[in-house]
Amino acid sequence: MRKNPAFSLVAFFIFIVSCHTAYQAQSLQYKAYRINDSQQKDSSVLMLIKPYGDSVNKSMSDVVGFAEKTLDKKQPEGTLGNFMVDAFFAMAKEKYNTQVDVGFLNFGGIRLTQLPAGNVTRGKIFELMPFDNLLILQKMKGDVLQQLLDLIAAKGGWPVAGLTMQIRNKKAMNVMIGGKPIDMSTIYTTMNSDFIANGGDNADMLRPIPQITNGYLMRDALFDYIKKLKSEGKNISAKEENRVTHAE
Amino acid sequence: MLNRKQFIKRGVSAARAMIIGPTVMEAADYFSPLRLTILHTNDTHSRMDPFPMDGGRNQGLGGVAARAQLIEKIRQEEEHVLLLDAGDIFQGTPYFNLYKGEPEIKAMAAMNYDACTIGNHDFDAGMENLATQLTRHANFPMLVTNYDFAGTPMEQKTQPYKILKKGKLRIGVFGVSIEGRGLIPDNLFGATKYLDPVQKANEAANKLKKDEYCDMIICLSHLGYQYKDNKVSDEILAKESENIDLIIGGHTHTFFDSPVTYKNRKGDDIIVNQVGWAGIVLGRLDFEFTKFSGKKLAGNHNISVSQKTGG
Repeated sequence: MRKNPAFSLVAFFIFIVSCHTAYQAQSLQYKAYRINDSQQKDSSVLMLIKPYGDSVNKSMSDVVGFAEKTLDKKQPEGTLGNFMVDAFFAMAKEKYNTQVDVGFLNFGGIRLTQLPAGNVTRGKIFELMPFDNLLILQKMKGDVLQQLLDLIAAKGGWPVAGLTMQIRNKKAMNVMIGGKPIDMSTIYTTMNSDFIANGGDNADMLRPIPQITNGYLMRDALFDYIKKLKSEGKNISAKEENRVTHAE
Repeated sequence: MLNRKQFIKRGVSAARAMIIGPTVMEAADYFSPLRLTILHTNDTHSRMDPFPMDGGRNQGLGGVAARAQLIEKIRQEEEHVLLLDAGDIFQGTPYFNLYKGEPEIKAMAAMNYDACTIGNHDFDAGMENLATQLTRHANFPMLVTNYDFAGTPMEQKTQPYKILKKGKLRIGVFGVSIEGRGLIPDNLFGATKYLDPVQKANEAANKLKKDEYCDMIICLSHLGYQYKDNKVSDEILAKESENIDLIIGGHTHTFFDSPVTYKNRKGDDIIVNQVGWAGIVLGRLDFEFTKFSGKKLAGNHNISVSQKTGG
């Protein structure tokens, strides 16, 4: 590429005056390095995190339960979500000592993609539910509940307890609660996290509804439920039960 | 003949450069194009240790100590390296429940991150906690241009953008993050004002390009890669952007097979990349730069993309 020297000189002066905007990215080579435990480690970073890790391991390594099989996070319905929402639903009834019609967990509230089969540690439950969210109740009419179910349908399906529904065109169809079709004027007692009840995940229809709360943490509900299962001689387990399905 | 590195090291002034003449400089540039290596993470979510060996699909993956070692190795091999993160540093393991982000920020400081943006979960232990952790332990800026923190504990704890100089290159980096309402609990998001990320991103990029003469402009984004509805995302930002060369994304925990190229509003190439979550992957993007030679390049700006072999 030959250039006129006079032009180059002019160009160069422009470059000196402006000083900048002189380079442009022309090509990109990419690579994704998978990081794993067998690779060499930086000793100073290991030293830095060790005191934190030692104390985390001390308080988090207790085995609290046993998973019979690997539970997976999945939409519209998955075993991990069903286990968690069943835990919340059961513990809500017990801790609030009341009838609860339906229970929900937002899909994004499942913070692991998998709960592997085998021993489950205290730390694993913290990873599954790291937030200090509260388990709360709300009473709402069927028409408001239907709005929430439509949101759940539009978002591809969340773990639910006490109801079955189908997703069609981002709406909840054929909703059955306690074996009966949803009734728009009936008042239902619903269980949720305070995160969702406060309008999280765009559940704006729940914002104005008063929350019944006793400060019970959702994570504690998981620990209590696993304990309860144990006392009944049961392990951690769940099935897909067509609670939420896509309509044909 | 002087190569560029020696040239810079001798601190040659513009006057001296003129005596030596442009042809020498141009020749030097011609024979050794400038390279910049960008390393990046997103949504590391307090994953200090590798995933435990419990039979899960991610077992043994991740871990800050192995990441730090790899980063150090690349820094020894490459002259110009940037290390960036796209937010959600906090929340996900008991480390965060117990220490509220202190070991996460300390580890990033030890790895010499150049900049990060803010993710929704970085609010999880409160804005005051985030401000404290950054003030005490960070040696890198948190960049966000579309949150107004006036009157909150995070006021003046972030910057809209930062110019990072690597040899002759001026790299402008800024951050954008996601709408807090409906995602971050009101009591945590507080009085933070969320501003239009596309508008603020274009404002920042234009400023970095035209007023700050940056050679490359990088957006650290916690908007998320793409959505089924029309919610603003990296994909939408890329298409509606001007002057941004690269979006390093996060939030949707998307593992890209390769970076994705879009055409911006002017028809120029813009690259988007994201590396999943939990520090399972460290992304590497090696850019090569050529000189403008003073005239406006004809046509649109294209960037050729290929997979790096070896290394």
